[in-house]
Amino acid sequence: MKKKPNYKLIIGGIVILAALGYLLITATRSNTQYFMTVEELLSQKSELEGQKLRMSGAVVGESIQYDPATLDLSFVVAQIPGDHRLIEEMGGMAKVLAEAVADPNAARMTIHYNGVKPDLLKDEAQAIVTGSLDAEGVFQATELLMKCPSKYESILPDQVED
Amino acid sequence: MFFLGLGTFILASVLMLVCLVLVAWQLVHKQTEISALVRILTNLGFGLHTLSIIALLIMQVSQDYSNSYVVGVINPALPTYLKLTALWGGQAGSLFFWSWIINLCLVIALNRRHILRDNWGYLFALINLIFFSGISLFLENPFSRVWQLTNGNLIDSLFSPAEGAQVYSGLIGTGLNPLLRHWGMIIHPPVLYIGFGAFLLPFSETLSHLILKGDGEDLVARLRPWLLIAWIFLTAGIVLGSWWSYDVLGWGGYWAWDPVETASLIPWLISTGLLHSMFLQQKKNIFRRINVILILGSYLLILFSILITRAGLISSVHAFGESSISIPLTLFLLASLVLSVGLLIWRWKKMDSGWEFESWYGRDSLFLYTLVLLAAIALVCMWGLLYPLATGAFTGNEIILDRGFYDRAVTPLLVLLVLLMAVCPLVGWSVASLKKLGNRALIPLIAAVLATVAAFVWLSKSWVALLSIFIVALGLMVLVLTTIRDLRTAEKPLGTFWKMRSRYGAFLVHSGILLIMLGIVGVEGLSQSIVGTLIPGDKMPLGDYGVEYRELTESFDSPEYLSVRAQIDLWQGDKVVARLTPGQDVYASRSQYVSIPGKHSTLAGDFYTIMLDYDSMMGYISLQATINPLVNFMWIGSLFLCLGAAFSLSSPMVLEQANWDRKESEEDEETDAD
Repeated sequence: MKKKPNYKLIIGGIVILAALGYLLITATRSNTQYFMTVEELLSQKSELEGQKLRMSGAVVGESIQYDPATLDLSFVVAQIPGDHRLIEEMGGMAKVLAEAVADPNAARMTIHYNGVKPDLLKDEAQAIVTGSLDAEGVFQATELLMKCPSKYESILPDQVED
Repeated sequence: MFFLGLGTFILASVLMLVCLVLVAWQLVHKQTEISALVRILTNLGFGLHTLSIIALLIMQVSQDYSNSYVVGVINPALPTYLKLTALWGGQAGSLFFWSWIINLCLVIALNRRHILRDNWGYLFALINLIFFSGISLFLENPFSRVWQLTNGNLIDSLFSPAEGAQVYSGLIGTGLNPLLRHWGMIIHPPVLYIGFGAFLLPFSETLSHLILKGDGEDLVARLRPWLLIAWIFLTAGIVLGSWWSYDVLGWGGYWAWDPVETASLIPWLISTGLLHSMFLQQKKNIFRRINVILILGSYLLILFSILITRAGLISSVHAFGESSISIPLTLFLLASLVLSVGLLIWRWKKMDSGWEFESWYGRDSLFLYTLVLLAAIALVCMWGLLYPLATGAFTGNEIILDRGFYDRAVTPLLVLLVLLMAVCPLVGWSVASLKKLGNRALIPLIAAVLATVAAFVWLSKSWVALLSIFIVALGLMVLVLTTIRDLRTAEKPLGTFWKMRSRYGAFLVHSGILLIMLGIVGVEGLSQSIVGTLIPGDKMPLGDYGVEYRELTESFDSPEYLSVRAQIDLWQGDKVVARLTPGQDVYASRSQYVSIPGKHSTLAGDFYTIMLDYDSMMGYISLQATINPLVNFMWIGSLFLCLGAAFSLSSPMVLEQANWDRKESEEDEETDAD
């Protein structure tokens, strides 16, 4: 049994798809960020200035400075790899974070943020920071996200890794 | 306890495999009825699985630190209830718990006999159970122990990793992250898991239906209770997570488009679409294909959501971190997807329900638009989740879509969807006439315009906020007036109301959505905030409120942390309306603190304070105060979602409903005639 195609439905479908496509593309264009490591940021500093970026690094505890009156917060993060698999091979996130903070030769970058200090901002936390690089090479953050892998992961290596 | 726990778990797994073999053998011999033996073995297996869970719980409560999982989630100072709920506080335990929830759903279904009525349905559910139990057993075993080698090194292993190694129980854990010690967060995972697990049964049953029968008829009527229950739990789980983040995380955020949140929203959107399209199938026997697709899609998207949460592919606050389960889980998801799509294609022709698109504004078409909009929002979410992965794979540089992307892409779709929902009750089942629509819409329209004008004068000048308020007012008026009209024309209003529970349950859910929208307008568009540093006796004004800082108190309520609290009087006019105690719980041993907000909640909104910093020597604090108007409508609305669905669930889809609607459409035609 052949039915003649329903043109109303087809035209409606095309209009909806076109509208959705337009919405997705315009929303994507104005809201993308590159996800980068500290090293990548430092090596492409001049090209990236002013662009919207997201980066991840290990928080260096002693560098945290916070003025609760003005909500000015600044801290330094050290280079950690961006690749999850590589981090696993290096012994897990907690270990990588601790080594990055302890390593004086690791690439480092200063973050500046104006706002409430996150509860989890502390030494050897993983900071995922959104914002942009300014002319002085300071990362001006608009959003902070902190993760603290539990310490016990690093105390207890899996049998496979030995 | 180790041997009891692991032993019962292994035995339970063996029984699952035995059932698998039995069922497969029967299917090869074309027997589709589930045998009594399989039923007994399944119940027995569930009993063993439960014993195994109990053994782990006993280890948690008795602080058996030879168990690695206990080391990770327990510390001596945790109160007992948190030692119990730590079962789902870490990766291994929560996966184990999840496999038990699947087993629970399976056993309930098998014993109730409304669903999973044949070997095929049972088989697919069982395969899921075996898969997740296998992950628990082989990859993330919660019974794994701490071993000390002869050289003193510690190792995490189930059995002795080397000669001379000893079980070691000297590691004391740091316990559950304090941020998670909130009852919203404590019940959020189990509620969500039950929702997830309950979707597995319709999924399995639908696959079985496709294999055995495949015309899509009579399927949703049977699955309806399960789908509704699953939807209620999924909704409650998502809302609890949102409420937790509003209440605990300190910045008053209720939704951040975090990948994990977004991933759990996708099955919710799709299953919400399902609740609508299955209603049409029950009424007019149409949309059969769409229903089958949506049932299968809901569970596949739940697997996808589990993958996002568990595998750590995407950076997220919630993610459990990197784990070995991402590859098996991805393969399992792909296999389920291929099977579902294959069966769908095979039965595609047979499921044709012969529906024709007749009118742009008939109620069928409005339901179709609802589905399209829900699917479009789901697609936007999917795009947002996968874009970083795709760009990472193709260009080597992950490109992330931030909150602005979702705000921009979802807002217009959401507004359209809610508008559609608001006007839907105005449109009759038969092709509605525009004139009649106009008559019914008149009073709600006037009310909505008045509300919008009032909002423009007193509340906000933002057009998105005003449009939303217009839609909320319109929608609520339409729902109330329709209910009044229904009941006035009925002979026995109360009897009708009770008989038509599924209709008024749906109305309640819809009014819940409207209230949630009102809450979102309040938080996003109308909130005000101020930050100040105060010494005792200082006052700080905000809106028609003022806060007066009295003193700073410190106490050791728990051996684990120091509670620092600012004592604050909240003034409204010349009266103190509340005493707020925002502060911090300082966990010295973890070098972490948790902000505890101080809140004054009324229907008009929350007055929300966070202590950003303090100096106990000088006695000053720095305080952020925020007014979130209307925010509590969000939680009331969420409650309506669950209550409405439960109310609807209590009523079987009965003939009275169909009769009623026939009456309604006749009435439509009568008035059309004048």
